[in-house]
Amino acid sequence: MQAFRLLELLLLATVLAGFVGLLLRRNLFLKALAMDVAGTGVVALFVLLGARSGLRSPILPSANGAPMAAAASTGTAWADPIPQAVILTAIVIGLSIQALVLVVISRLAQSDPLLDLASFDEGERP
Amino acid sequence: MSALPSAEAATIAWLLLPFLAAFLAALLPSLGRPLTLLCCLATAGVALAAHQGLLPPVLELLGPQGVELRPDAYAAPFLLLNALICAGVLLDGWGRSLPGPFPLLLMVLHGGLDSAFVAADLVSLYVTLEVVGISAFLLILTPRNGRTLWVALRYLLISNTVMLFFLVGAAVEYQQQGSFRFTAMASVRGGGALALLLVGLLTKSGLFISGLWLPRTHAEAPAEVSALLSGVVVTAGLCPLLRLAMEVPAIAAVLPPIGLASGALGILFALFDADAKRLLAWSTLSQLGLVALSPAAAGGYALAHGLGKGALFLSARRFPSRVLEGWRERPLPADLWWTVWIGSLSIVGLPPLLGFFAKARLEESLQGWTGLVVPALMVGTTAVYARLWGAPRASGGAGEGPLPPAGTLLLLAALLLPGLQLAAGLEVPWAAFGKTALVVLAGLGLHRLLEGLRRRQVLRLPDLEGFGDLLGSIGVVGAGLMVVLQR
Repeated sequence: MQAFRLLELLLLATVLAGFVGLLLRRNLFLKALAMDVAGTGVVALFVLLGARSGLRSPILPSANGAPMAAAASTGTAWADPIPQAVILTAIVIGLSIQALVLVVISRLAQSDPLLDLASFDEGERP
Repeated sequence: MSALPSAEAATIAWLLLPFLAAFLAALLPSLGRPLTLLCCLATAGVALAAHQGLLPPVLELLGPQGVELRPDAYAAPFLLLNALICAGVLLDGWGRSLPGPFPLLLMVLHGGLDSAFVAADLVSLYVTLEVVGISAFLLILTPRNGRTLWVALRYLLISNTVMLFFLVGAAVEYQQQGSFRFTAMASVRGGGALALLLVGLLTKSGLFISGLWLPRTHAEAPAEVSALLSGVVVTAGLCPLLRLAMEVPAIAAVLPPIGLASGALGILFALFDADAKRLLAWSTLSQLGLVALSPAAAGGYALAHGLGKGALFLSARRFPSRVLEGWRERPLPADLWWTVWIGSLSIVGLPPLLGFFAKARLEESLQGWTGLVVPALMVGTTAVYARLWGAPRASGGAGEGPLPPAGTLLLLAALLLPGLQLAAGLEVPWAAFGKTALVVLAGLGLHRLLEGLRRRQVLRLPDLEGFGDLLGSIGVVGAGLMVVLQR
């Protein structure tokens, strides 16, 4: 359980590092990358959560294989499938958002190729 | 009880309809508008059925760890708001050619909102909020000019960041409780998980300083998208937030102070802003604070505010100028004049408009000191909207009909309809009338007082809407909540 705590803290630190990067980087592309770092941390956190109870995938064997109930009774350490299923959705959503962000950033690069935040954020101030 | 399986099937079919229709509209674009209208009608029907309790109150899909939906009476006003605003926006643009695949995006947004209002577990809520966020982002982008590019990107970055926090909160909660259900959350220990979930939902619903992204986004988006955003999209975060507050006492305890602070913050900035659309957007931030005060009255208040604000934002497209200075010298076409008056008077809470009844319900459901602060906030709201009053009505405007466009008309009719209840003479709440009169008089006085201050530019409010400020305020709200909830 100690290893689990340690890994959990490291992953939370990854998310925090991503947030700090998003806050402090001046370049829009680096901001998008920082957001991805935070996203990776969250995905890994869910994978870790799924592996808390074991590593074996809880997949029903085929009809002629050993029935799962028997395998479970032998004390196999199954992984928790719920967080894995949840994070699969989140990975897809994260990927599509990243794609949309990059499309908009590439359009914004036409007005400022350096992608400095100030040229978009300050320029709009009334 | 034998009718339940069919009611379940109907609910699921209704949730799927907008997405299937959007897919069909992608193949056959000419069907887009009729299909959107069909989705709105279906949602309005479901809202009525949910209000009457005809639908199963809890719907469990895929077993005890699966999706949980609650199409109950609490969700009904939000669903009705969704149907009316989407139909209003669509009808408003019926005669014009809308940019891009507008009806398609509108349907996806509509479907996402429907699901967000009935979702009762954290994962379904996460997915629906992301659907709402992405479709709102694409809708902001529809005019494709340089300004909206940055505003839309900012919206997506902020929304994705807070949803990551929401996911971390959900992970910590699952680790403790072994379930993502709202009902399992009442016994969550420690403040971390709740604080992270709250930051996500508060930012999504544009409350307090975590909602500072809202004014510029809502003001820069095209008028019909602003109407959608301010009218109904913000409630996608607020409706589940209040549903959580009903389950978790710790959340119910922190929401009223946040709501009141949000109300005061929005009014303060709206009183001193120089731009009409930004004034409306700041007022959204403050009104959402009032919605967050009480889960019991939230649906009705969100409905009244959303309809009024939707009508105002739809008409903002035709404002002669967005600059508030000299607003009284520029005449408005007759139909626009009526829209501005009815919409703003409903938000101020004047009888016989819907806003009056919503406000009365809200004040009834509040206890203790929060009930005393609400009238003060309504005085401020009156002073805010008094800045939009007083423009003369253009006489005999050429080319303009006597009636507003169909979409605005629908929203205004929904605001006026409850007045029939008064006309029928069921019960006349004289005490509430007197209170409202006092509030409006005080508001007009405050408006007069501030007019001079504004002219001399005594007070300059800080600009808190840079990207760094937004992320910083999210961090501050998160850290603050963690400290408060730890106890």
